[in-house]
Amino acid sequence: MSADEFDPDIERLFARAPALPDAALFTAQVERRLQKGSAVRGLALGVAGIIGGVVAVRETLTVNIGSDDGVVAGEALGQGVRSVSFNAQTAIQSGLDQFGLGSLELGSMSGMQMFWIMAGALIAVAAAGVVRLSQEV
Amino acid sequence: MTQPLVDRHDVELAALAAAGGRREFGELVRRHGSAVRGLLRRMGAQPALADDIAQDAFIQAFERCAEFRGEGTFAAWVKRIAARLYIKRVAKEARYVAEIESEDVAPPTDHAGRVDLDEALKSLSEAERLCVSLCHGAGMAHPEIATALNLPLGTVKSHVKRGLDKLRARLQPEPAQPLGRTQHVG
Repeated sequence: MSADEFDPDIERLFARAPALPDAALFTAQVERRLQKGSAVRGLALGVAGIIGGVVAVRETLTVNIGSDDGVVAGEALGQGVRSVSFNAQTAIQSGLDQFGLGSLELGSMSGMQMFWIMAGALIAVAAAGVVRLSQEV
Repeated sequence: MTQPLVDRHDVELAALAAAGGRREFGELVRRHGSAVRGLLRRMGAQPALADDIAQDAFIQAFERCAEFRGEGTFAAWVKRIAARLYIKRVAKEARYVAEIESEDVAPPTDHAGRVDLDEALKSLSEAERLCVSLCHGAGMAHPEIATALNLPLGTVKSHVKRGLDKLRARLQPEPAQPLGRTQHVG
């Protein structure tokens, strides 16, 4: 602010906050919104993390351990791991079925399909960033 | 033993809020909520709208708390966020460009003949009120206001000057009446 704009009396009056009777209610409303936003964000991240983790575990078991080209050495050990992996796959598959994601086969997708999925996800993230930025500016 | 929140400085509370401290941020809202709401009302927002925008401003401030470096006051920082949110809102309605001069009604005075700032602001046009509040309430410079409102700099300057002249005239206490006329003892 330049010197000719400065008026100490007016500044002082503007600096004095009005006494509003519902100040406590206002504070409570803001705190509630913060709490709600935090809970929704946490829930969304948690659900996304669980689904992503389960899909990743299932893909790992299917692709690496279930195949004959796996890294496990020794027939006996391989049998045991296959048995455990089969049980784990069954459990995970039933979990994914409950979420309606049982038919999701990332391993069967072609490279081009995976590319387009990743590109779509990146575009969505970029769009969300642009929207957020435009809200702030 | 941890220091009670009420004893902590704004900068300290803001740093804790930046790390996710909602309780600490709640203390900042408690301290400065009325100032931000008051500014928005002085800018011309209706009370309900002012409260909505003030809430949005505080939520945004919480999310951007890490950007607050303590160079100015926390209240001034949130006020600027709130002012910008309000400008965005009124820009949609293009209200501030309308040169509607309010009727020159004398605002009510208190017993000492003084005029309240909020009452005095009512005697300004919408544009004058907005520019004066942005300048003296939100601490924005004339060029900053001109950019934010998409108005020529000269227009902003004249709005502020005219608004201040009106405010000064309104805020001057009325001359005291002679004692003999008001006091009849015995």
